[in-house]
Amino acid sequence: MQILWLNASEKFSFWRDKRCFAVVLKCGSNALVIFRGSDIIEGMTAHSQKSTKPSSFEVRILRQDAPAKGPRWERHRVTYEPNLNVISVLQKVATLATTSDGKNTTPVAWYCNCLEEVCGACTMLINGRTRQACSALVDKLLEENPEGLELRPMSKFPVVRDLVVDRGRMFRALERVQAWIPVDGYGDRGSGPRESQESQQVRYPLSECMTCGCCVEACPQFAKVELAQRSDETSEQFEDRKAQEYDGAFVGAAAISQAMLFNDHPTGHMNAGERLETLMGPGGIQMCGNAQNCVAVCPKEIPLTTSIARAGRQTTVHLVTQFFDS
Amino acid sequence: MDSSQQSFLARHDFLIRRLHSLSGLIPVGAYMVVHLVTNASVSESSAAFQKNVYSIHSLGSLLPVVEWAFIFLPLLFHAIIGVVIVGGGMPNSNQYRYGPNYRYTLQRATGMIAFVFIMVHVFHMHGWFHADVWLEKVARPFGGAQFYPYNATSSAGMALQSTVTVVLYLVGVLSCVYHLANGIWTMGITWGVWTSPKAQARASKACSAFGILLAALSVAALFGMRSAGQGENLQEAIQAEDRLYEHKIEAGELEPNEHKRSGSDHSEEGKEAAAKSEDK
Repeated sequence: MQILWLNASEKFSFWRDKRCFAVVLKCGSNALVIFRGSDIIEGMTAHSQKSTKPSSFEVRILRQDAPAKGPRWERHRVTYEPNLNVISVLQKVATLATTSDGKNTTPVAWYCNCLEEVCGACTMLINGRTRQACSALVDKLLEENPEGLELRPMSKFPVVRDLVVDRGRMFRALERVQAWIPVDGYGDRGSGPRESQESQQVRYPLSECMTCGCCVEACPQFAKVELAQRSDETSEQFEDRKAQEYDGAFVGAAAISQAMLFNDHPTGHMNAGERLETLMGPGGIQMCGNAQNCVAVCPKEIPLTTSIARAGRQTTVHLVTQFFDS
Repeated sequence: MDSSQQSFLARHDFLIRRLHSLSGLIPVGAYMVVHLVTNASVSESSAAFQKNVYSIHSLGSLLPVVEWAFIFLPLLFHAIIGVVIVGGGMPNSNQYRYGPNYRYTLQRATGMIAFVFIMVHVFHMHGWFHADVWLEKVARPFGGAQFYPYNATSSAGMALQSTVTVVLYLVGVLSCVYHLANGIWTMGITWGVWTSPKAQARASKACSAFGILLAALSVAALFGMRSAGQGENLQEAIQAEDRLYEHKIEAGELEPNEHKRSGSDHSEEGKEAAAKSEDK
């Protein structure tokens, strides 16, 4: 918050675009970046400009004790502090251990990991929008909706407990499209083909995917698949059955984009046909309805719809060549 | 999943969806454009439209084959698969308020409207089946089969006189136009014609321009046809149609076919309708 004064100094200057922010120290003709940040800093500066903030705000959380149990809303009143994110709000809720009407309650379960929007573990629905709790800043959220926050688990994945969901289908989708480059073998096959810089520039943004699931959460074509373990079934059998069920359902934007990432890699290209076969199989790219929500909600701003259209082109070519060549 | 466990539809989903996408443009979309352009020729004169109808009917006994193979069957395929696709989607444009997401929802809504409208429209004008028993006992008593190809302008014009019908046609035709224009845009993504956001934005502009043009054309066709079925225009249309018919019979260009004319009573009907519209 003490950053704004820097703006006035002649020695310092700001550099910012839509997402990034840096403070640059000018030394003659050279410039030195002394600080770099993202939304979080923007949120801080935004806060310092706004003086009126509530003393407390309400957090509505959709809780669920276990898979297949009925969900229930719980209200919590949290004391306002500047620069909270949704993770710190959940930590405050855990220390309160009471609802807003004073009843004792269990701590809300949630996942978090990196706390800098690169792991995807804390993805949830915040005020109805899918995003990461770590980069969701309360000051901004209260500006949009002064009444408080609403937290729900993602709606397209089975709920494990409260805000924790099982995103296993995302990872199964990566297996389906072989989102890797097979380099293992018995002998040294030498160095692979070279990759052009142009190709690197196209592929790099796709590699930023953290498999958080925002794209499929917002996708109107991606239906939830939730199975319950049968009493006569071992865990392994249940996992197999889940994988089978996932394999017949839509792979989703993230996996399609990963298929493009590895199809474009000079070595990965050697398995391009297999990835395209998966994308042309049940639950493949044909399920896409071009609503383009995926690209709009992607926290990493991955050009998912470009990947989808490119996969459309590759499958078109594959379809025609398969028809005439095999 | 073991492929033998999956249904035929699931195994061939990709191909079916691609055929669905293709059939929307060729032949269904292409036919629709030809249909609207032909109808809009009524704005020029009732005889111009009648001449166009004659050239379509010059296919003779081949016409039903062409209609079934290139229009009805592809249309039914597109519509039925479309209903399945709509059933598999969960529109969320209330929650995620983005332009393309609204267009997604609208594409599905207009598709369903278009399906209902086209079924009603084909019944209203053609009565679905051409068997005499069906036409006399079912179609005409329920207000269908109003179009007579050799009295094209007058019969179509008279069929479009009620306000309810015109509103239904306006909503239906504009739904079809939106569905085609937006469908071409999504088709370009599906087949991988335009891939980058910039290319998709350019394509979106082109499709919008196409849609606006086609919408203008269809409104001209609808209201042109309607006004050709009113008052003096109607009388002129009937006279022009009769002249053309007799001329074609004399020249030996046409076999007499009273099934395709509004019949001996058409002039009386015409007078009644003309009298009604004058009362208004």
